[in-house]
Amino acid sequence: MSTFEWVKPLQQILKSKVQLLTLSISDWKKETENESGTHLTVNQVGSWVRQKDKLWMLAEQDGNQVTVLEISGEELSEKEKELISWSMQLANANKEKTAVSISSVSETERLAYKLGEWLNKQLESDAPSYSLPDHITIGNRLYHDMIPFLLITEHPNAQQDIYPELEKLLRSFLSDDILLIPLKSQEWMIWGPVSLLKDDDPELLQDGEEETLEDSLTSIAYGLHEMLASEWLGECHLAVTQPVSPSKGMVEAALTLRETISLGRKFHVGTNIHLPWMLQLERLLNAIPEANRSKYLEQSLKRADLFVEAEMLGTLETFFSLDCNVSETAKKLYIHRNTLLYRLDKLKQETGLDVRQFRDAVLVKIILLLYKVTKRN
Amino acid sequence: MAGVRLEGIYKRYPGTEKASVTDVNLDIKDKEFLVLVGPSGCGKSTTLRMIAGLEEISEGKLFIGDRLVNDVAPKDRDIAMVFQSYALYPHMNVYQNMAFGLKLRKFKKADIDKRVREAAKILDIEHLLDRKPKALSGGQRQRVALGRAIVREPQVFLMDEPLSNLDAKLRGQMRAEISKLTKRLETTTIYVTHDQIEAMTMGDRIVVMKDGFIQQTASPEELYNHPINIFVAGFIGAPSMNFVSGTLVEQGGAVHFKAPGVDVVVPEGKAATLRSKGYIGKEVILGVRPEDIHEEPVFLEASPNTIVNANVEVAENLGHEMYLYLNGIGSDTVIARVDGRSGVRDGASVKLALDMNKAHLFDKESELNIFEN
Repeated sequence: MSTFEWVKPLQQILKSKVQLLTLSISDWKKETENESGTHLTVNQVGSWVRQKDKLWMLAEQDGNQVTVLEISGEELSEKEKELISWSMQLANANKEKTAVSISSVSETERLAYKLGEWLNKQLESDAPSYSLPDHITIGNRLYHDMIPFLLITEHPNAQQDIYPELEKLLRSFLSDDILLIPLKSQEWMIWGPVSLLKDDDPELLQDGEEETLEDSLTSIAYGLHEMLASEWLGECHLAVTQPVSPSKGMVEAALTLRETISLGRKFHVGTNIHLPWMLQLERLLNAIPEANRSKYLEQSLKRADLFVEAEMLGTLETFFSLDCNVSETAKKLYIHRNTLLYRLDKLKQETGLDVRQFRDAVLVKIILLLYKVTKRN
Repeated sequence: MAGVRLEGIYKRYPGTEKASVTDVNLDIKDKEFLVLVGPSGCGKSTTLRMIAGLEEISEGKLFIGDRLVNDVAPKDRDIAMVFQSYALYPHMNVYQNMAFGLKLRKFKKADIDKRVREAAKILDIEHLLDRKPKALSGGQRQRVALGRAIVREPQVFLMDEPLSNLDAKLRGQMRAEISKLTKRLETTTIYVTHDQIEAMTMGDRIVVMKDGFIQQTASPEELYNHPINIFVAGFIGAPSMNFVSGTLVEQGGAVHFKAPGVDVVVPEGKAATLRSKGYIGKEVILGVRPEDIHEEPVFLEASPNTIVNANVEVAENLGHEMYLYLNGIGSDTVIARVDGRSGVRDGASVKLALDMNKAHLFDKESELNIFEN
């Protein structure tokens, strides 16, 4: 567990705000000067000092910088402080071990890990920095627009063992010009070149319609998922969003993609490719407090249990996915048109909601989405 | 090539009590074309995904050839998959799409070229090798997806509803092509479908599944003629088998099946079984396929003990045959398939004869076929 992964659990245990600060050595010395102007003996990692209503512990010293653990609130007992220092040292030791094991890896991989660590820190932070710091650069690539993907695998693996394999696979599949950033265990951010979106032969489009950017991104995500599932470790979750320059949009893209996969997994179990532009309603519903969602659902379901029958659920999902087209839905479900109409009439009879009417269709769609997230709670 | 063996396979998802797949045992022989069929949610796709390595096996053993592959990654199982939601690689042309898997496995360029061109020839897509997927029709894309699987020359093909995104005409055409192809390549194939016509026309053997359980594994003919229970009897065949609830009565030295509007004699061979199993006087379900209800005078003359009278609610004439939707035989509508030239009209009263030699009787409680268990 790295230092930043260590902070959140600590915050929960202490029930106080805990954060990591990065200070220059000179600032650190200035801040830890006592009233009489003399320096406190706090230069050893694990040593503590009180700063007004906060407690500081020196967590790490690296060149001209120090990392400080800041705990707000009440005083800690000596034993608590000792335990925190000890577990912090353990986290640092693990980090060093990781650093040693990646010392033999390529420069790109080392930089990718550095970038991953910085990105993770920002994603954990309450006030993330949205621009890359100057000291992390990987050539000019970070300053051109690229396509961001987030990959979450279902099989636990040591990231360092599979980084070279996955990177090689992605280079063969997408382009040499990719960037693979390890985030948490089983989580990877992939940046692909925008050249993937270029169309060599636009006049050959089968349906004669121009493909939108979202269509192109969707096709690439499906292709990438298929390749990863069959040629790599098996099933995985993948999200993609619009191209952006990594130097400016890395944190924002990662946040969007994480939220997209989280929403997709929550609202659409069984789906592995998650697209932010397809989850707008889900995002909105997710923002409603749980208690309100449950209450609304309870009231809606009181009117009929029909919604939750597997056959009705499947029918309605297909009906909505085909833009409420009765003929297409019947065809897709391999049932007679009249059978479908009978099911929709039955729903209308029992709930008063006719999904062939736009207004009722919206209500039923919302009820179904809410049902999916609350039934598992 | 290799066979595939499933021994006591279960799939349980976290947080659910009931297994999605329960105790599946199958021995799929080398070069066999096996079809998993059943309604949606029956566990057929989950079973296939476990064979593919895309779903973890909760319990049981899976062998490909003699190798236990429970913990082997999909890429190392020597299988090739074509799924319903197959996705081609959009930034690669057809040739590159088909060659990619071989390139990853470090095949020589000349070998890759040979395999891709051979597969393209088989699938009749040689002229499309330079095209990108979006410039292809649905049928052409489907062929490329098949081509991607073929070039791998795997031990086993796994296909999950690969034709469901195609229109009816193309589906019929591709169905025949896949059958021809797998016979030619002599590769073991496991094919999932909900479509019983696909199952009947393609499979050497068919596995019918329901609620995660295997109901019956048999050849298409065996399934059609000797269904083990009501579910299999009703699932295989279109229009479905008719079911009529009634009672078996011993009368004048013969066993009669009696239901509202029905009093027919059960052939002696079957009657003996019914007597020995103690079904006389009990309620049973009669199963008759639409084509085993006859209106031809010759058949009526030859079967005076199995005649029923009915009213034709609707007569659907398909040209070469006609479906009669009948009232008066038991309490539900019964469908008969008769000659298209029979001239029967809506609303007519007809006299029909049931072919009781081909009829089935099912236990009312267990729903098992009395003659097959």
